[in-house]
Amino acid sequence: MRTYVPTPEWIVLDWHHACIAAELLCIQRCTGCGRWRHPPRRFCPACQSDQATFEPVTGSGSVLSFAVSHRSLDPGWQAHAPYATLLVELDEGPRLLAATTTPPGEIRIGQRLAVRTEALSENFVLVWADPASHDEPTSMAPRARGNPHD
Amino acid sequence: MGTDLWGTTAIVGVGETDYVRGSDRHVCDLILDAAMDAITDAGLKPADINGIIPPPGYMSTEEIAAHLGVPDVAYHVSVLMGGASPTASLQTAAMAIAGGLADNVLVCMGWNGYSALRPKPDARPTKRVMNLGPMGETVRNHYAPYGLMSAAQHYSLYLRRYVETFGIPEDAAAAVAIACRNHAQLNSKALMRGAPLSRADYDAAPFIAEPLRKFDCCVETDCATAVVVTSLERARDLVHPAVVYLGGAEGHPEPADEIANRANLLELGIHRAAPRAFARAGVSPHDIDVLEIYDCFTYVVLLQLEALGYAEPGGAPAFVANGNIELGGRFPLNTHGGLLSQGHCWGLNHVVEATRQLRGTADAQVTDAELALVTGYGDLGDGSVAILGRDR
Ligand SMILES: [Zn+2]
Repeated sequence: MRTYVPTPEWIVLDWHHACIAAELLCIQRCTGCGRWRHPPRRFCPACQSDQATFEPVTGSGSVLSFAVSHRSLDPGWQAHAPYATLLVELDEGPRLLAATTTPPGEIRIGQRLAVRTEALSENFVLVWADPASHDEPTSMAPRARGNPHD
Repeated sequence: MGTDLWGTTAIVGVGETDYVRGSDRHVCDLILDAAMDAITDAGLKPADINGIIPPPGYMSTEEIAAHLGVPDVAYHVSVLMGGASPTASLQTAAMAIAGGLADNVLVCMGWNGYSALRPKPDARPTKRVMNLGPMGETVRNHYAPYGLMSAAQHYSLYLRRYVETFGIPEDAAAAVAIACRNHAQLNSKALMRGAPLSRADYDAAPFIAEPLRKFDCCVETDCATAVVVTSLERARDLVHPAVVYLGGAEGHPEPADEIANRANLLELGIHRAAPRAFARAGVSPHDIDVLEIYDCFTYVVLLQLEALGYAEPGGAPAFVANGNIELGGRFPLNTHGGLLSQGHCWGLNHVVEATRQLRGTADAQVTDAELALVTGYGDLGDGSVAILGRDR
């Protein structure tokens, strides 16, 4: 099933490359004041430093909000409709979107999440997030419900 | 400059095409037809126009001037705020006029919003597209890979938060959708004239992107609109009663280029624009007689009404209830049918309707309308406000 995978450029590409190299979600962090920020920016809004690195984060966060799409212009995603897209607030502070394998009806604002990345090309990682639960067996892998990128 | 700007310019000409799905007209013909209609409506000739604000995409100022026969463009600028562009353009037009850079400014908008995605089999192809401006990069890099391509999907990220934070009932969104559809029944050009909407129809429609159901979403339309702005002094010598541009403003959320990292997901550009616009116009929200609110989606109308001060955060459902926003209510809203039911012309159709209301020539006329408020909303939450009034 065809699904859109972009070819990022500039500092967004640097972010994807950092995540691919670390095989973990990395987030930009200001060298000057230590603040985390996302999406990648040239200057720190707090201290104006242009010195920053991409550092691995814990991968823990929570649902700030979410979209539930009942139709999609993308054939790969349309095959999985209705599907949720999570707006994740990482414990480090920055927020980002994440795909999820969790059915829309099981998602709640405030729910705790575990985040991981999947490289879809040499230049792009997709972020996945699913409820952080100690009850679920580890075999409950994200692909179990179907991945639109398959 | 501040004191010489607000209340010193006026809208003197309006033009609009039909609002249709599946036009036989090329998008350039739509834009030029509306532009010529607006110039003619003002009692002017193309040679009188010397300022142009073109649509965000589709056609350039240079082309528009050449095809209309405008010989001397002294000033032009493009405004790229998506659906907030046309209403924000009024402040730019007013600045150009008050500053002496131009005398008569043409603001135009038009697109093949329906046919671009679904061309008729025999339609001649066009490569003309909208200028996505600042949101293009964010959608391409950060939203589309997650299956969020459409505006309904992007905005649902904060509309979900809005609905859950305040317990906003579907009744409120339905009231907006039905008021707009009711008004469209009275508008000779509305796409949805002849297609009334009941609450049962609204409830039965499928979700597009929660909380947005089908009738919470505006109608994709082929259409164009245009207005001519000039000095109030010149306006008083022209054919129609002058509709004075009393004040306006734009505003942008922080950051404006993406949604996720805003300190408050529910603080949009209009929250910043609204107090500026009321202060500049010297009026308060409760002085307004007609509301033409950018209605790409019903819930976005609710958020804007709160930003404008018509309700506390979460209080818009009470404001739109009990016929308050229907013709005959205290605050008739989108008296032409809006983007939801007249057609989607990026809110310049709201400016056209507000102008007609203040001239007293609207199809669904509000009795003795003296003050009208128009909003624009676009890209990832940019906002604009224009307050228009009868010349007294
Ligand atoms: Zn810093």
